[in-house]
Amino acid sequence: MTNIATAVWAWGGRIPAAGIELVRSAAALAVETGGELGVLALGIGARVAADTLRAAGADLVLTCEEEALDTAPGEAGLAALLASCDVLRPSLVLLPADSLGRDWAPRLGYRLGAGLVTEVTDWSLEDGRPVFQRLVFGGKAIATMRVAGGVAVATARPGAGRRDEPPRAGRGEVRDLGLAIEAQPNWPRLLRRQAEERQGPGLEEARAIVSGGRGLGGPEGFIPLEQLARTLGGAVGASRAAVDEGWAPPSWQIGQTGKTVAPDLYVAVGISGASQHLVGCSRAKTIVAINRDPEAPIFDYARLGVVGDWREVLPALTAALKEMLAD
Amino acid sequence: MHLVVLLKRVLDPEIPQSAFSLDPQHKEPSALRHPFVLSVFDGNALELALRLRDTRAEVRVTALTLGPRAAEDVLRKALALTVDEAVHIVGDEAGLPAGRKARVLAAAIRRLAPADLVLCGRQAADWEAGQLGGMLAEALGLPCLPFVSGLGLAPGGFEAVQQVESGQAVYRVAGPAVLTVTNDPGNVLRPARIRDVMAARGRELTTIPLADLVPGTEGDEAGVETLDLRLPTPRRRAEILDGGDAAETAARLARRLRELGAV
Ligand SMILES: Cc1cc2nc3c(=O)[nH]c(=O)nc-3n(C[C@H](O)[C@H](O)[C@H](O)COP(=O)(O)OP(=O)(O)OC[C@H]3O[C@@H](n4cnc5c(N)ncnc54)[C@H](O)[C@@H]3O)c2cc1C
Ligand SMILES: Nc1ncnc2c1ncn2[C@@H]1O[C@H](COP(=O)(O)O)[C@@H](O)[C@H]1O
Repeated sequence: MTNIATAVWAWGGRIPAAGIELVRSAAALAVETGGELGVLALGIGARVAADTLRAAGADLVLTCEEEALDTAPGEAGLAALLASCDVLRPSLVLLPADSLGRDWAPRLGYRLGAGLVTEVTDWSLEDGRPVFQRLVFGGKAIATMRVAGGVAVATARPGAGRRDEPPRAGRGEVRDLGLAIEAQPNWPRLLRRQAEERQGPGLEEARAIVSGGRGLGGPEGFIPLEQLARTLGGAVGASRAAVDEGWAPPSWQIGQTGKTVAPDLYVAVGISGASQHLVGCSRAKTIVAINRDPEAPIFDYARLGVVGDWREVLPALTAALKEMLAD
Repeated sequence: MHLVVLLKRVLDPEIPQSAFSLDPQHKEPSALRHPFVLSVFDGNALELALRLRDTRAEVRVTALTLGPRAAEDVLRKALALTVDEAVHIVGDEAGLPAGRKARVLAAAIRRLAPADLVLCGRQAADWEAGQLGGMLAEALGLPCLPFVSGLGLAPGGFEAVQQVESGQAVYRVAGPAVLTVTNDPGNVLRPARIRDVMAARGRELTTIPLADLVPGTEGDEAGVETLDLRLPTPRRRAEILDGGDAAETAARLARRLRELGAV
């Protein structure tokens, strides 16, 4: 295998931490294969990010600063990716497993006649070709997959392929993709974004997360959860069951189809511990479970557990932590 | 107005790890031991289509599945929820490369009345590839909007709410287009009424043999091989803290958290 391509959202020259992480992991892989890493930086102001991308290991940065990326990121981004693959001729395209990467990957794979492996958690090289790990059946099984020949497209979950040693700085040549993208009338067009208000840190940055599930029994259960989160300087998350009940917004969902988080402390309250939930919090350093059912599967996964009703345990824990942290 | 909803029959994703087992030879779960259900996000997609039809009498909903005989279950369920038509492509889909599967479904969709929207789940609740929607859009030559949780009619087409990391994004979709659907409190699949379940038993399905659609392998992408399928290594049980009353238990937990450096 030789060249690797990846894409990052670089609106205003700012690249999210997960994007940098992906470029680094891709750079580490490029070092192993002896190939070049090309990074497509998308968004107005993307050029400003070129130095950051070079430091993270990019050999060639292709920028695309078309307006259409704003109103039709899916379609316009796909057009830019296709054009960048013409330039880079990659044998592997690594995209982030986020809402954009998951949108682009199947369509790009189809157009390139490539083999697609999604939601990859790790990879290695065998005979110079990438072999991917991914969770299937809601995290109840682990699959090892390989693209039989030709180009491979993969989406990488946060933390996939992370290597401890810093990558070499890339050549860092910067070029404009030179593609004018005109939004087509049949493209879905963005009308407005509704960002959710959130007090305190976001789930991705929070050092502590307190998550609630169906066991909270109603939206009012999230109030003591928020109090505990505030005491810890952390954020509140939710299981899919709590989101489906309408007790928490979808952006709070943690798990396979929600966010992947990696805090120092993760407190799961009234959450049974379905594999689909656990894959979102398995990178937490310490998991604490509070559940009234001693047989709940979450106790096979957590480091510490309390068997009991959250109505009693939560206020007591908040009080105990307040006292301890005040010392 | 015509909406096509893709439904897949999958192993029940809610069975606990302790009841889940593998057939290592075929690199599949041991199917005989497990119950099958409608894939969860497909239920959300069906609900969005039914809600649109609730608001407008001229909306027609077709349910479409590709799978063995037994996959008829999901179409019966859709008929019990009063979809207008149910189409079953009968064949074994497990061995099909993803792109070919998309072309098979696209060929079946082209045989139907022209679709204004094709809805499918964001990912099937078995192998969870999350690839079919995008590939189907390519096979049909249509635009695609993924992770839709809400859908309404708007002048000249539809308005769709997409779930993204930071919250929601609202899109105007002219149609025809492919939408992939994700969960939200607003699109939990409704239960069927007993009366409709009974009526569905007698209703006709349209069946198409898989071999009638896209017979060749032309255009097939590079294949993806599953080299290995295994169970995760079991975890150790949590250290359970119990101090008699809640205050003492909480104080112990707080101390342990400090010892572990978690706070
Ligand atoms: C394809 C797919 C993707 C999915 N993606 C996700 C995902 O991203 N995230 C996710 O979370 N789930 C996901 N799920 C759903 C997952 O399978 C579970 O259904 C869900 O996580 C269950 O949520 P829960 O633990 O809150 O509810 P339950 O399983 O109902 O558990 C509730 C728990 O609360 C406890 N409890 C009840 N009352 C109290 C009390 N008073 N005090 C203390 N404890 C109490 C109960 O003992 C029980 O253990 C997905 C499922 C599928 C099929
Ligand atoms: N055999 C099938 N029959 C009908 N729909 C399917 C089939 N396979 C996948 N789909 C649809 O495509 C979605 C995504 O599937 P996948 O890409 O396999 O994760 C599913 O949620 C279904 O809506």
